[in-house]
Amino acid sequence: MDVKLSENKRVDVLSPVSLKPRRKGFNVMPMVFIGPHMLLFALFFLIPIFFGVYISFTNWDLINTPEFVGLQNYKEILFNKESTFYAQLHTGLGNTFKFVVFTVPACIIIPLMLAAALHVKPKGSKLFQAIFYLPVLFSISAVMIIWSMMFNVSFGPINHYFSSAPNWLGTQPYAWVALVVVTVWWGIGGNMIIYQAALNGVSKDYYEAASLDGAGRIQKFFHITLPSIKNQLLFTVVITTIAQFNIYGQALMLTKGGPSSSTTVLLMYIQQNAFGSGQSIAGIGSAMAVILGLCIMAVSIIQFFLLREKK
Amino acid sequence: MNKKVRVIVSGFVLLVLLLSLGACSSKSSSGSAGGKNEIVFWNPFTGPDGKNMKMMVDAYNKTNPKYKVKNISLAEGDMYAKIPTVVNSKRNIPDLNIVHAERIKQFVDKDMLVPMDDYLSKYPDIKAENYIKSGWDIGSLNNKRYSVPLDVHSFVMYYNKDLVKKYAPNALDDNIVTYDEIKAAGAKAKKDKIIAMPVTWMKPTFLSVYSQMGGSITSDGTKPTLDTDKAADTLKLYNDLVKSGITNKDGQDAGQTFKSGKAIFYAEGIWMQNDVKSAKNLNWGMTNFPQLSDDKNKMVNWSSSHQFVLLKNPERDKKKTEGIMKFIDWVKDNSLPWAEAGQNPAALATLDNPDYQKMPQSFLVKDATEQKSLKIFDYKYNGYVSEQLDKIGNDTVFGKLDIHKALKSAQKTVEDKIAQDK
Repeated sequence: MDVKLSENKRVDVLSPVSLKPRRKGFNVMPMVFIGPHMLLFALFFLIPIFFGVYISFTNWDLINTPEFVGLQNYKEILFNKESTFYAQLHTGLGNTFKFVVFTVPACIIIPLMLAAALHVKPKGSKLFQAIFYLPVLFSISAVMIIWSMMFNVSFGPINHYFSSAPNWLGTQPYAWVALVVVTVWWGIGGNMIIYQAALNGVSKDYYEAASLDGAGRIQKFFHITLPSIKNQLLFTVVITTIAQFNIYGQALMLTKGGPSSSTTVLLMYIQQNAFGSGQSIAGIGSAMAVILGLCIMAVSIIQFFLLREKK
Repeated sequence: MNKKVRVIVSGFVLLVLLLSLGACSSKSSSGSAGGKNEIVFWNPFTGPDGKNMKMMVDAYNKTNPKYKVKNISLAEGDMYAKIPTVVNSKRNIPDLNIVHAERIKQFVDKDMLVPMDDYLSKYPDIKAENYIKSGWDIGSLNNKRYSVPLDVHSFVMYYNKDLVKKYAPNALDDNIVTYDEIKAAGAKAKKDKIIAMPVTWMKPTFLSVYSQMGGSITSDGTKPTLDTDKAADTLKLYNDLVKSGITNKDGQDAGQTFKSGKAIFYAEGIWMQNDVKSAKNLNWGMTNFPQLSDDKNKMVNWSSSHQFVLLKNPERDKKKTEGIMKFIDWVKDNSLPWAEAGQNPAALATLDNPDYQKMPQSFLVKDATEQKSLKIFDYKYNGYVSEQLDKIGNDTVFGKLDIHKALKSAQKTVEDKIAQDK
């Protein structure tokens, strides 16, 4: 009886009837559903990317037709040590990397700690969850205006309450501290929500078993919690890194790239070259953007390989 | 049955998509942005001045002209980013546009503007005699007229009348405050924790003093001249003011200091007037930007100007262009709302208005010597220079960056950027 059943199944799978949908070939329905997205994706993502890469091989002022110059822009920014654009790429990329190194760990650890704390469901946890999440909803300009007032030398609350007097936004290392603090504060909510959801998914049985074995809170955190939410961690690390590589608004509005270009990030140079107040140098700007894109890709791939599950 | 439903649904969705896309493209492919009898007018007035411009446009439209003006204010950065795109695509090109004076040379070089000479012959009053000279001159290139000025806006100096009386009673007798007078007043006021003058926007400050020293940002109209002794002296002058403790400290809000009565002088644009007005209990006046000498003929007040231009647009016909000229001609005689926004209208007709004469900024236009002091820094690569000055200005003045190194790098950056313009 059993055998017969399975034989029936086999036959069914191989029968021409079951292959019918495949033979019919193109199924319109899925295309209809992803169509609008694909269209927007192509329009606002794929086409601009290809166009941007193309522009990086040209000399273009945004007005006349782009003139193809091959790899000249890349040669200029990567190898011509005398060139201003070489220096810009160097400084800009260096500052961008610094910013990533400073912010990404904090943007992972602090939300994780807050999520773990909220997970215990202390009194008022919903309220705190809302408070921590709130900054994510603000626009970058609003956040930067608020914080530039907070850090203001003469009437800012930070200097007032700490009875300190550093020029937070105009001297180092305070400028970096300010940028990191603001960025972390602004972005806590996004990652925290992901971690909260992940923590809810971890089975309580593990913790009970660990308790029985005499594991402490810290041991539980490192041996149960962290491994259980590994995938979410990987996801947030990659996404946060990419987001921080694209730093622009904070440095532009808060420190204006200063003091002495020490917080001028690459996107600021790219913007100024392509859409500055002088005539556009879109080719060089595009080439810098391509280099930045490649850096982000490389770093993401490395992170992915380092953090993925070892099988 | 099921299949049929699928086909119908998907067909419908596709149709809607195509239709909506079609609608998008048909809207944007109409060539000129404006309707037949509409002048689409782009300007960068998104601040409070935008309201005044709209008032003027509305007033003009009420005169029932054949071509009505449609006012579109865009954020400055967006507008300048959009202009090349629309000119390139030949779609949605505005019929009339306001741009800053410093951009005109570059736009003409790139063949983006239409000369107005043929159309102006019908409006004989749009001529040099009726406008502030520096604002008018900027629109004339290669013996053709490419723009008509709306205003000339200058970087001047506000002063606290009470504090001037106390610390610099004679400084304003000739309406020129020299740096020596500022230093003397600062020394006197120091004990009362009053500063002489906070450091404000360094770009116009630098350009103004550099020009007073006899320096120029370009030697021949192409090559930049930023790495010079005079430029270093200019920055050094301000660096010394900072060092002597009569300015604000690095990071301290300049406007706040002045508005709260803690500074005697305050160099700012005439367009900041309404902000200064907002400070209660502040008894203020307006005078020339600080000068090195009290010789009136050597005076320099950094200025810029908003200019009407016609971007090249094959679809703008002759009649419409004449309609545009009519509007520009009307603005010439009806610029008072623009003065109320704090600006100095370029058209001298406004001078006859007693209300305008009472406005503090009008002193720059009233007498010929003052008019001569309004200098527009007209250089094809002015944009590159501006960016560099904004970058090094504060850092050098507050001693965070070596003056000579900064000027050298600024010079090199501008040169390298120009080299890309092939």
